[in-house]
Amino acid sequence: MNCQRLKDWFDERYDIAPLRKFARKKLVPSHRYDLWYYTGGIVLFLFVLQFITGMLLSFYYVPHAEHAHKSIIEIVTKLNMGWFFRSLHHWGAQLAIFTLFVHLFAVLLLKAYRKPRELLWFSGFILLGVSLFFGLSGYLLLWDERAFAAVKVATGGAGAFPLAGNFIKAFLRGGIDVTGETLTRFYAFHVAILPLATVFLMALHVFLVQIHGMSVPLSLKDAALPQEPFFPNTVYKDFTVWLVILGIVVTIAVLFPPEIGLKADPLAAPPEDIKPEWYFLFLFQTLKLFPGDILGLNGETIAVVLVAAGIFILFILPLLDKKSSREEKSPLFNLIGIVYLVYFLVMTIVGYFS
Amino acid sequence: MKINYSLITRRTFLNTLLGGWLLAFLSGSFLALFKFAFPTLGKEPDFVILKNVDDYMNIPPNSIKPFAWGGKLGIFFKRADGALVALKGVCSHMECNIAYKPEERKFYCPCHKGWFDETGKNIKGPPPKPLEIFEYTLEEGKLIVARKGVKVELPKA
Amino acid sequence: MKRAAFLTLLIFFFNTVSLWGAEAKKAIEVFPSTPFYQYIIYETLAIFWIAIIGLIVIIRMKLREIERVQKLGLDAPVKENNEKQTGGDNAP
Ligand code: FES
Repeated sequence: MNCQRLKDWFDERYDIAPLRKFARKKLVPSHRYDLWYYTGGIVLFLFVLQFITGMLLSFYYVPHAEHAHKSIIEIVTKLNMGWFFRSLHHWGAQLAIFTLFVHLFAVLLLKAYRKPRELLWFSGFILLGVSLFFGLSGYLLLWDERAFAAVKVATGGAGAFPLAGNFIKAFLRGGIDVTGETLTRFYAFHVAILPLATVFLMALHVFLVQIHGMSVPLSLKDAALPQEPFFPNTVYKDFTVWLVILGIVVTIAVLFPPEIGLKADPLAAPPEDIKPEWYFLFLFQTLKLFPGDILGLNGETIAVVLVAAGIFILFILPLLDKKSSREEKSPLFNLIGIVYLVYFLVMTIVGYFS
Repeated sequence: MKINYSLITRRTFLNTLLGGWLLAFLSGSFLALFKFAFPTLGKEPDFVILKNVDDYMNIPPNSIKPFAWGGKLGIFFKRADGALVALKGVCSHMECNIAYKPEERKFYCPCHKGWFDETGKNIKGPPPKPLEIFEYTLEEGKLIVARKGVKVELPKA
Repeated sequence: MKRAAFLTLLIFFFNTVSLWGAEAKKAIEVFPSTPFYQYIIYETLAIFWIAIIGLIVIIRMKLREIERVQKLGLDAPVKENNEKQTGGDNAP
């Protein structure tokens, strides 16, 4: 298994010496918080898993309002291991988004976004948005009652945006209502547009990480940290973590295959106690906090604007946090980070149990 | 620093172990993926249930009536002597559909000119095996055609 | 809460059952119901975990071996030939 001639053939044409040198030089600091470094890798792994299972599912899925629901039932009941791969795709998505949030808050609280890594934060943030849209669009593809109603709620929320709201809503729905048009649209997003965007953004994200190396938390920047070579030490550790993650998703997928509800019927009343997926609950719950109208203005619009502002501030946080960009401690932004985290957790939990 | 010879051996051993285990692990995982990637559709059923029984039982002697055996051709055949046979209408050579020639009382496969006699035996041409004969039973006004030796478990209607 | 919602749903659909046909009656089987297949599935899951744990153990052994070599002070660039054969295990 040495293939010396193949290697020589390649070496004659391409000079990979710099790459090899880079690989040998890449070091990863080890310290008390280095556990959080793994979250990014886990997301990467889960996305690869999602791509594989998604490609296979697309062999059988029929993106049409009449057939979508039935084709999924067929996948689950008739095909070899179909029930398993649908379940795996479902749980892989859940876990990927969960890990993404962990990654986000870890980066936020360890201030890994600070100069010079602002672009990493931006690209990662957009990736999170893409992933949430992945989740929303994938959910609708099931085309059962709950998915149908949940997507109606979610896209309806976008409609409350001032000015552009109705335009966004119509663009998402492919009409004024959620119909078969929406299904094909979301299918296109889910299998073509978003995956391409993800691949591009992820490549950028990973590339930037290579340029900057791993960020070390402010509190440790003066400590003499032991360094560990990325190849092969960290790679092996990453593999170990991925294997455990794989085992966990597979186990969950086997033990808790997700239910399939009744086929969506635009004319039927929506089932009771409709909730979006858990990762939208914090938004959903925030919207619920606001009364119907505040001082004569539409309460929903205000809520949506506030939420958008909150998200935008989080997005440009690296630019606002001047102190940590000078490598100084910035307790204020510690606090802001914690407030965001607590808000997210509380709203998600409240939304889940209400 | 001098390296002991045993060091290399240990590394080689570990590399082989890791590579082998990884290979087994990956091939196991990909086997599952492949299983899902190739649908069951081509798989033959163990039995089929036919509704309009009379249509099949009352065919004239020396004639056939086709039925769907999964995605393949099944043939109900009444011999000239009145005996009813259910068989798979697929040639044992390269799986072409066969036709019945009443004048010659033989089954004919047009693909490579194979011939089978009334009992399904291969008598001329390339087919290496006789045709597959099914068993059939009448139950509650339904005709159940099953592969030989298969226990039929009716799904609860 | 969930059960109540489910029941209302069920009752609602029993009223409109003519619209939905037989489909509405039974939940869709998202997991094989035959005990035989279930047994195979759980068994495969167990084997899968054994395979994963085995891999992790081997990786740990490799890691330890690598760290030992690194501690021996072999981190200085090794001869090209040697490095090629071992896939650069003794980096950096
Ligand atoms: S396939 Fe029938 S004779 Fe060749």
